[in-house]
Amino acid sequence: MSKQTNTSTLDGRRNFASTLSVMSKDYMSVVGIILLAIIFSIGSYVKNGEQYFMTISNWKNIMLQSSTVAIVALGQSIILLTGNFDLSLGRMVAMISCVGAVLMKNVGMDPNLVILIMFGLGALIGAFNGFMTAYVRIPAFIATLGTQYICFGVAKLLTQATPIPNMPESIGWLGRGYIFDNAIGKVIPISVIMMLGVYIIAQFVTSKTKTGRNIYAVGGSPEAAFFSGINVKRYYFGTFVLAGLLCAFGGLILMSRLNSVAITNGQNYEFDAVIGSIIGGIALAGGKGRVIGTMFGCIFLITMFNGFSQLGVDPFVQDVLKGVVLVAAITLDVVRNRKKS
Amino acid sequence: MGKDYILSLKGITKEFPGVKALDDVSLNIERGTIHGLIGENGAGKSTLIKILGGIYQPNGGKLEQDGKHVSFATPIDARRAGISVVHQEIKLSEPLSVAENMFLGNLMLKGPQMVDWKGMRKRAQEIVNELGMNIDVTVPVESLTVAKKQVVAIMQAINNNSKILIMDEPSAVLTDRELESMFRIVKDLREKGITIIYISHRLDEVFELCDNVSVLRDGKHIDTLPVAEVTKQQLISMMVGREMGQEYPKEVGTIGDTILEVRNLKRGNVLKDISFSVKAGEVFGISGLVGAGRTELARAILGIDRIDSGEIYVRGKKVHYHTFADAIRDGLGLIPEDRKLQGLVQIMSVKKNTTLVNLDRVSRGGVISNALETQYGNEYKDKLRVATPSLETEVQYLSGGNQQKVVIAKWLFQDAEILFLDEPTRGIDVGAKTEIYRLINQMVKEGKTVILISSEMPEILGMCDRIMVMHEGRKMGELDVAEATQEKIMALCV
Repeated sequence: MSKQTNTSTLDGRRNFASTLSVMSKDYMSVVGIILLAIIFSIGSYVKNGEQYFMTISNWKNIMLQSSTVAIVALGQSIILLTGNFDLSLGRMVAMISCVGAVLMKNVGMDPNLVILIMFGLGALIGAFNGFMTAYVRIPAFIATLGTQYICFGVAKLLTQATPIPNMPESIGWLGRGYIFDNAIGKVIPISVIMMLGVYIIAQFVTSKTKTGRNIYAVGGSPEAAFFSGINVKRYYFGTFVLAGLLCAFGGLILMSRLNSVAITNGQNYEFDAVIGSIIGGIALAGGKGRVIGTMFGCIFLITMFNGFSQLGVDPFVQDVLKGVVLVAAITLDVVRNRKKS
Repeated sequence: MGKDYILSLKGITKEFPGVKALDDVSLNIERGTIHGLIGENGAGKSTLIKILGGIYQPNGGKLEQDGKHVSFATPIDARRAGISVVHQEIKLSEPLSVAENMFLGNLMLKGPQMVDWKGMRKRAQEIVNELGMNIDVTVPVESLTVAKKQVVAIMQAINNNSKILIMDEPSAVLTDRELESMFRIVKDLREKGITIIYISHRLDEVFELCDNVSVLRDGKHIDTLPVAEVTKQQLISMMVGREMGQEYPKEVGTIGDTILEVRNLKRGNVLKDISFSVKAGEVFGISGLVGAGRTELARAILGIDRIDSGEIYVRGKKVHYHTFADAIRDGLGLIPEDRKLQGLVQIMSVKKNTTLVNLDRVSRGGVISNALETQYGNEYKDKLRVATPSLETEVQYLSGGNQQKVVIAKWLFQDAEILFLDEPTRGIDVGAKTEIYRLINQMVKEGKTVILISSEMPEILGMCDRIMVMHEGRKMGELDVAEATQEKIMALCV
């Protein structure tokens, strides 16, 4: 990469840091997924005498789980690019799903209409987050923490914390449908195609359009962006709205796949999204990284926990490991973006 | 000479990378006097204060207090030696009470660890009374006016038993009435035997308040004189008297019709009834001291700050820009004061910074063309002679001068017709400066209009066609470059 040669010509001692920087940014999560696959395949074989990890059905599972996390994480990574943070995403998924389930099941509304309402609700909550952050100028961290509680509370109130089972058949295809169902069997889930779709669009927009470039400028330096005529507040606002819409989308797919809605739907998605984003190369401080990386980061994360489960690692230990991964990812971010001047 | 000097500077020198901020400065401060310290922006006053206050260490020379050699490694050392600095931006703990602030870092205790609140309040009230002020010592500092905050900072110094009090442009933030009472306090302190070093831009104050005055220019000590023996004119020439070399390759542009006209522009007490007009192809200078309202004027015209009243005409058409983006669309631009923070996205490449204001020009059907962007990036990099390893290098790795060239490239690429340059050469080396002047020439030759805001008088005189002088939000006058001299400008802005 040209970036690597630039920094290293400026300062020879930076070779290692800049190599790490480029590696970790663009390829690390992909390399990581491959390494995990190898380790867990061997592990699975050694433990069971048979291969459970490296099977089509297991990978289908990994990809299904990744798809919802990754769709939500896309919103988080774009918010991170502008230098903000959204703590409410996971609970927003829960609340939007609960509202959707109640409307579909208890009220008996047309599922298609409910889907529209769910997206509207996502946009509205995102708009609230964006308004508080951009125009009232409350730190995003605090504003979205408030939203997180509000969403979770509303979700609990609506459902009395009781799961709502059996979603309408008409939305089943979203989370449980496959393309080429007849030709090659149930191999390529529609939700995975949806994930790929939103990421390809987002990668294109962020890297190839004015809107995308401005997002990076805002995250790189809000002041300089302002003095380049960019409406910084509008970008803050817009990215939160987009994240809200993606929460609705992710929530919808999740309720379809699980065929039920509980207040735990989407739990911890906001942090999984951060871990995925950072492993995927997005800078926590904003202004750097490719959004497509976040998709691989999320797949990496899900692969890792799938593998741990396969190897019979205690779920409580897995929580500990998740914390370790979060700290490791952020340490990586800090090392990667340490000022080199 | 038999005089009693409390503080003597002997050959103090302070160098920063590329700049000699203080060059062999020797001067004496008489005990129990008010000693004025004057000079233009960048003359070295702040550096000198920071050395006396223990914030900077000199590279050479020595400091004597009461005839004994001293050196201050930290601000605490200076304070222990009885030297207190009241900074221009007052450093107090806003949520704490007046009394607590006066005892900050020096709390009165009863017993080994208990704070003596009562005693502190009593002592604080005594000092307040001594100064004849009306301040409640129990209220938080944040509830006070700026003037009273300054008094609290002074009281903090008194409470520390300071023998020398350094005041850095205290008048900059005060109204006339507040100033009067501050003068009284300062004179009172002199009666109490405290020596005061008073930094100011305003010569009138020096004459009213000071016993002696020292003039600094370009880091050198020009002279120290009793105020009674010097005139304002003499001080002005001492402050500005510097030769102008061929650093300013001024060429006259293609002058056209009036392109920008401002009538009776008002904004709070920042801009007071400003009117002026600029012709296409002119370099119009705005001179004045820091805080005169020059940057604020540019911001108000460009739609960044709201205006209270007044009219702005661009190309004869009345305009009212709601946002800076509106102004940009109309062909205006601004090279902001703070190049690092406001001018460039430091973590973006040279190329991306260059095209940021005008991405449409490198886009086809809403999609940024990498080929086009690289082509233009190279073109402007070469045109402005930006020294960079590559177009992809992040601007944070470039030198100040090269960074500034990228900022200019940005606005040339945008093809701005009326460009405000706010302190465009601050902190960049002489070579890069001259190149920036050549770019200004080039712009006006193409019929573009440059409005140059600068605190450096030789630059204003060397590069402008006409010069407007501002002071405290007011237009003090307008000079044609042919008739303008540093003395005339200085006389207008103090």
